[in-house]
Order: sequence, then C-alpha cells, then structure tokens
Amino acid sequence: MAYSGVTVSARSRGMVRESRHLLFTVAPGATWIIVFLVLPSAYLMGVAFMSNGTYGLPEMPLSLESFRRLAGFGFLGWSPGNLYTLFRSLWQTLVATGLVVIVAYPIAYYITTCREKWRPIMLLLVVVPSWTNQVIRTFGWMNLLAPGTPLSSLAEGLGFISPNMGLYPSNFAVTLGLVYNFLPFMVLPLYAAFEKLDTAQVEAAQDLYASPVRAFWHAVFPQTLPGLLAGTVLVAIPAFGMYVIPELLGGGKGMMLGNLVATQFAGGANWPLGAAGAILMLIATFIGLYAMRRIGKRLGGGEEVVI
Amino acid sequence: MSDSFTADVTESVDAPPVVDTDEPRRQASSIEMQGLHKRFGADTVALDGVDLTIEAGEFFTLLGPSGCGKTTLLRILAGLEDADAGELSIGGRTITEVPPHQRSVNTVFQSYALFPHLSVRDNLAFGLKMRGLPAAERDARVARIAEFIKLGDLVDRRVEQLSGGQRQRIALARALVNEPDVLLLDEPLSALDAGLRSQLQVELLRVQKRLGMTFVFVTHDQQEAMVMSDRIAVLNGGIIQQVGPPRDVYERPVNAFVARFMGHDNLFAITARQGNRLTTTLGELQAESPGAGDLLLIRPETLDLLAGDVTGVNHLPARVTERLYRGSHAEYCLAIGDTTLQATLNNRGRHLPEVGDRVTVVVAPEDLVTLSE
Amino acid sequence: MRKRTLKRGLTGFWWLTLTFLYLPLVVVVLFSFNASNSAATFTGVSLRWYKALLGNEQILSAFGNTLILAICSSVIALCIGCLIGYGMYRHRHRKLGWLIVLIYLPIVLPDIVFGISEMAFFVQIHRLTGLLQPGLLTMIISHVTFQIPFVALIVYSRFVGLDPTLFEAAKDLYATPVKRVVHFMLPTIKPALISAFFLSFTLSVDDFVISFFTAGPESATLPIYIWGAIKKGVSPEINAIAALMIGAVAIAAILSLTMSRRRQV
Repeated sequence: MAYSGVTVSARSRGMVRESRHLLFTVAPGATWIIVFLVLPSAYLMGVAFMSNGTYGLPEMPLSLESFRRLAGFGFLGWSPGNLYTLFRSLWQTLVATGLVVIVAYPIAYYITTCREKWRPIMLLLVVVPSWTNQVIRTFGWMNLLAPGTPLSSLAEGLGFISPNMGLYPSNFAVTLGLVYNFLPFMVLPLYAAFEKLDTAQVEAAQDLYASPVRAFWHAVFPQTLPGLLAGTVLVAIPAFGMYVIPELLGGGKGMMLGNLVATQFAGGANWPLGAAGAILMLIATFIGLYAMRRIGKRLGGGEEVVI
Repeated sequence: MSDSFTADVTESVDAPPVVDTDEPRRQASSIEMQGLHKRFGADTVALDGVDLTIEAGEFFTLLGPSGCGKTTLLRILAGLEDADAGELSIGGRTITEVPPHQRSVNTVFQSYALFPHLSVRDNLAFGLKMRGLPAAERDARVARIAEFIKLGDLVDRRVEQLSGGQRQRIALARALVNEPDVLLLDEPLSALDAGLRSQLQVELLRVQKRLGMTFVFVTHDQQEAMVMSDRIAVLNGGIIQQVGPPRDVYERPVNAFVARFMGHDNLFAITARQGNRLTTTLGELQAESPGAGDLLLIRPETLDLLAGDVTGVNHLPARVTERLYRGSHAEYCLAIGDTTLQATLNNRGRHLPEVGDRVTVVVAPEDLVTLSE
Repeated sequence: MRKRTLKRGLTGFWWLTLTFLYLPLVVVVLFSFNASNSAATFTGVSLRWYKALLGNEQILSAFGNTLILAICSSVIALCIGCLIGYGMYRHRHRKLGWLIVLIYLPIVLPDIVFGISEMAFFVQIHRLTGLLQPGLLTMIISHVTFQIPFVALIVYSRFVGLDPTLFEAAKDLYATPVKRVVHFMLPTIKPALISAFFLSFTLSVDDFVISFFTAGPESATLPIYIWGAIKKGVSPEINAIAALMIGAVAIAAILSLTMSRRRQV
C-alpha cells in the first residue's frame, strides 16, 4: 500500500509524456487534413441542402430542391437527363471494371510464370503509362480514335460506325479510356495474389479434379479472390467519379456523374445541385468500401483488403 | 580502464586491471535495488517488490521462466522501463529517474539490435560518437575493442553480411567499447545453436573475468546460468525466490519452484516427522539435519544402487522400470511401492542394473534436503 | 502440349496488352515530330513544334508553376507526413482508429469531390476574409492534403519493418532524443523518405482534377494548359509538351529500375 501513491504519479507522468508526444507528431498532419479536407467536405455537404442563389452560389433558406433537381425535376417538369447520367456512370463503372478484370487476370498470371529477374521489369512496364498525366494519356486516345485515323477507318470498314464519325466522342471511347486508365490498378494486387499462390494446392487439385477448368475454379480462383477484391476497390471507386475521361472522350452523350457535378461549379453554376451530386458520389464510395471490407473479411479470414 | 582490454592473458582473475595513467580508472560498480514494483496495464504484475544487491565485478544471473519479470528488471536497470515504485542505485548513485542515455550502463540485446544503416565500425563507434568523443579517440577505442574481442576483419563488413554468432560478438563489442559501469545481457546467446553457444559462453566468461566489470545476465536456461554465474537470482511471478551461488541454488533450493526449475523431479511429500526420522511416500528416511518444510528433495546423482535386497539405514528396496543409457552415465526410473524415483549412475565400468532387476536404493542422510512448496 | 499452347497464347496476349498500353503514348510522341499540323496523317519529321514551345510564354510559365507546385507541396507533405508516420508507429498500440480514418480519407475521396470541396471552401474563405485567393498557394495546400497520407503510410511501414529494440539500443548507447532523430531515425528511414518524396512529386505532376478546381487565373500548370488547349481545339504543340512529359516519365522509370537493381546487389 505504501507505494501506491508513487505508482499513480509515476505512471501518470509517463502517460502525460506519451500523450504530449502523440500530440506533437500527429497534430500537424491531422489538423491539416481536418482544416483543408474535412471542413471543406462538410461545407460542401451543407451546400447541398441550401438554395441556389445568384451566380450559382448557395443561399439560405435550407431546401431539398437540389436533390429534386438531381432526380430530374426542373422548371420545365421532369426530364430523364440526370438519371441517364447516373445510370451511365454505374454502367460504365461495371463494364470497365469487368473488362479490366478480364485483361488483368491473364496478364498478372503470365508475369508470375516468367523468370524472376524479369518480373519487376514487366510490372514496371505495366505501371509506367499511369505515371504520365491522365490528360495526356486521354489526349493520346483522342489522337488514335479521331475521325480519319487508321483505327476509325477500320471500324468504318467493318461497319461498326457510320462514315466520318470517328470512334470518339462516344461511350465506347469512354469505356476504352477507363480500361486503359485502371488496368495497372488491377494487375498489381492480382500479381501479389498470384505470387503468394500455394502451388501445392494447385497440384493437389490437379490430382483430384479431372479437368483443368475445375482445378482452376477450386484451387486457383479462391486464392486470388482477395487480390481481385482489392483491385476492384481500386478500379471501381475512382471510375465511378471519373471526370477527365468522359469529358474528353465522351462528348455530350457520354457524360458521367463527375461531369454533371463539375459543370455545376464551372459553367452551369449551381453549387447546391453539384454538391448534391457529390454527396451521391460519396455515398456510393462508402457503400463500395464497406461492401468490399465485409466481403474481404468473410473471405480472407481476418486478412483485410488493403486500400 | 582502457588498458584492461589489452591486459596480459596470463593475469590472474582477481588481479585488478592495469591502470592507465591518462584516464582515471573506474572501479567496477555495485547495484542496489530496493522495493522495485512494476505493473503493466491493470493486472499484469511484472515485479512485485524486488530487493537485490549485486556486488561490484560480479557475474550475476537473473534466472526464471518467461514472464517471471527478469527481463523487466533488466530493462529497469537499463532505464528502458520506469519502475512504478522503488529505488535503484549503481555505484552508490541513485539513478531511478535518470534516462537511459545518461546512464553508464550498456545492454547486449537478444536480437543484437545492430543498426542496419551503419557499417560494423560505425555501429561500434555509435555510443562513443553520441557521447561526443573526438574521431581519433573513437577510432583508437574501436581498434582496441576489436583486438580484444578478436573481431579481425569483421569490422569492415556490412551488418547484413554477418552470421548470428558474429552479430552477437559485434553487439557485445558495441556495448563494451563504452566501458560502462555495468553490462546488461538480455538472453544474448538464446538465438544461437548449441555448439556456438557453449563456445561463446566461455568467451563471455573470459571477457568478464579479464575486465572485472559487473555483468547482469538474463536467461531461462539453468545450465547456462550455472556455468556462467558467480551468483544466481531465481525469479518467479515478479518475486525473487532465491539468491546464491550456483551450488547453493542447485543443491539447496529453498522451495519447490526453485527445485523444479533447476531440474529436480524427485520431490516427495513428508507425511510425518520424528526428530531426524522423516516419513515419506518412499518410506522412512533418516536425514542428517532436516530443515523446516514438508517436501523432501532427493537429487538423482546422490543415489547409489545395490544389486538385490540389502538392508540398512536409508536402504530402500526398488525395481528398475526404465533405463536410459547415455554413455557417461545412465538414468534410471525406479518403482518403490507406487512411487517413482529417478536415479543417475555414473558409468565407471561397473555393473549397471537392467530393466526388471530388483535393486536397493541407498541415500546418504546428509544428501537429503527438505523444503517447502 | 496443352500447357505450351497456353503459354504461347499468354505471351501473345502480353504483347498485345503492352501495345494497348503504349500505343497512345507512342502516337503522341510520334506526332510531336510531325511536319504538318494534321493529327491524322504523318507528313515528315520536324522539330517545329518544339521550337514553338520555347517561344510560348504561357507554356513556360505553366512549366514553372508545375515545378514550384510539385516541389513545395512535396517538401511540406514530407515533413508533416513523416511526423504522422512516426506518431502512428510509436503509438500503434493505442486506439487510433480516428487517425486511420483521417489518413485514408484523402485517398478514398473521389478526385472530383476533393477538388470541388476545396474550391468551394477557398472561394468562401476568400469572400469572407480576403485570404486564400485561388492561385498557387491554394493549389499547394490541396496537393499537400492528398500527399500527406502517402508519405505517412510509407514512413509508417518502414518503421514497422524495423526491429523495435533498435530504438532502445540508440537510447542505451547515449543518444539524446535529438541525436536519436539525427543519427538513428532519419538515416534509417532515408530510403523511405526518398521514395515518399518521389511519389509525392509524381502525384503532384500527375494530378489534374484537383489542380484544375483550385487554380487561379495566373497559376495554370502544364496539365491545365494542355486541357485548355485540347478544349479549344487540338494544336500540335500539345503533342510536343505531352511528349516531353512522357520523356520525363520514361527517364524516371529507367532511374527507378537501376536504383532498385543496385539495392538488390
């Protein structure tokens, strides 16, 4: 009992010191993110519930008008334009993610079958294009798909598009741009999964199941699922909010949610409407993250999907 | 002190190292601990009132199972952990509140903790550099310690090129080069294989004797503790169970925990006693001067086995149920009634009883030790 | 037999994918040397678009802005992120869920939401106080915000990979808190700091959306300039700047490859 007083003071002294240390190291960054990201996002969310004033700036009173407009109710009655945009964003995300998986899966597998000293170089080759600016990459596709280019002529000759239209602007060009943009984000986690693959299981499966297809499905595929999931998070979430690619490659009929939101802050000037669109995007993002976490936990047995 | 590194090998163990006239020689330091308490979280008690004095120049070992508090005690000595209560002094100076970088104490860590971003040479010089010694002096001291520990060309290698045993020696040299008052060793040999381990045990002992420095050594291996130590403290549950020279701790353990930890299995309940006559589950035994306590310890190597039935004082009839022949000796399991007794016989070329033989176990009254649970 | 066909098919697919990945970049570089200003037909080799770049004040200032933005934001993010990374490591046994959420927020937030939040915020602050007029300063602030998490996570994972007793060894070997930072921590995490700086730099140069929404009229960066030029109608000059930026990336790629090679040896 005699030492209990000393105990308390010595321990609390240590705790105070540790807390001060935590504050000193973490506070600058945490404050920075809170002031320059959390507060602005909170403000933006507030804007969505305000009225549209002059010059598109938000004004009191609070209203749900911008959500009504987002759903298509305007001055001239209901129009499906915004809902189309929303649906297009979802559809493009789905198709692009699917295509990325189809391309990335064999590529990631192929890299693991190559000799060890080549693998880092091969991965680098896949990643390097994404180091260039998104605008430049998309600009490259504009050059390739414009009317009169060999690719467009080929598509014309095959009868896919009407003469002198070119492959861009179009929804097809947007899908292509998305696949191009996000391919590395799927290859990397899949490659990591393939590299960890337990070959003993694969060999056992080849013994147990007659066909290679069934061996793949039972032994290989489940083991790559965490990588697939991580890749899906990395691809689908930014794809849904994509702005540059549909803006440059999509034209008027290829708009996605990102363009709808951006327009409200630039040309269209209706901040509350844009903010409402942003809230929708945030909700989709967090639903996506939450779903992946849940699935990832059930699959990986505690191994979390790293974002 | 510095010259002690180059002292003559033939110098006797107890002779003080040669005094360097330029540097005041520091005496080896004693350590005193009083009422040290340490708790982690709400209910994990690591140390529960430790009072201990370690003499200057002693090779002192803290021995115990994992979680007994021995590492915590070492870390408190190093200053890496603060005691919740109690006093600590080294060389007569109270250092309870002194931060580790101001203590003249160095540690050899279990994982060696060599800095990966530095060469071996810079690792060795790290402590000297931090204390602000000029470069020329640092180089001289590093060269001297490299000579003393016989590091040879290891000094010019990179850390990742070293084997476990080499890392261990670098870690030792990195601590010794600072000429601390006390050297702390946290299971420094536990990561090495058996052969290298016994070789380094000998080397460590040689270094300690020649420097005359106070070493505090932590281990969970009682064999290692007995080989190395001047004195051993056995810890359990944050409490010191027994302190003494290896022979005392091994031959006269004060309680069942110490006895079992030192490797003894022959513990028998004393059901009644009449003067020096003890009634146990083995039968009646005559002890020379039994102490208090209700457990009897019989060390296997004190037993003698006679063929057939022989009567006499402390003669017990038994049957051999198991024999492990180990070359230099043989280990026996003997059945006496329902009780099992273990015995070890040295192989001096005489008859070794076989499994199933009837034998008589003889134990000398002076070899019987009583202790409490 | 079957295995070999599979392997051959995969090899073919690999080269096809590489073509897909590099074709747009190659086309940009190729047409930057085009003698005519056609985007569809190549008529001959010429350096006229590169010469045109040198005379273009706007492009030169955009280039300067890009560099200033990337360097300033990376340096600030390195300092702040390094502190957070160390704090996360040192206090990793505490419940720091809120901090993890905060750190991941800039990474998971869609670019466009990030950009318009900052823009709306800066515009309102400027209207109310006159501070933070959109320009290089607001761009640097936004870039630092999305760079901090990457620096913090790189530094954190480097610390986690270290033997924790190294920190105690430094204390034990007489290093004062300041000396521990200078002689132990900073040199030990130097590789992590270098790669964090380069990652931040690349992220800054790569970014378009966030820069676009936080920029002022005078602070256009190269991507913003290119964007404007594309919107106005493609000029072959863009091919030349774009080609130069692709060249910079190629050099960076080769450098990173040789550096990782040397580290392996």
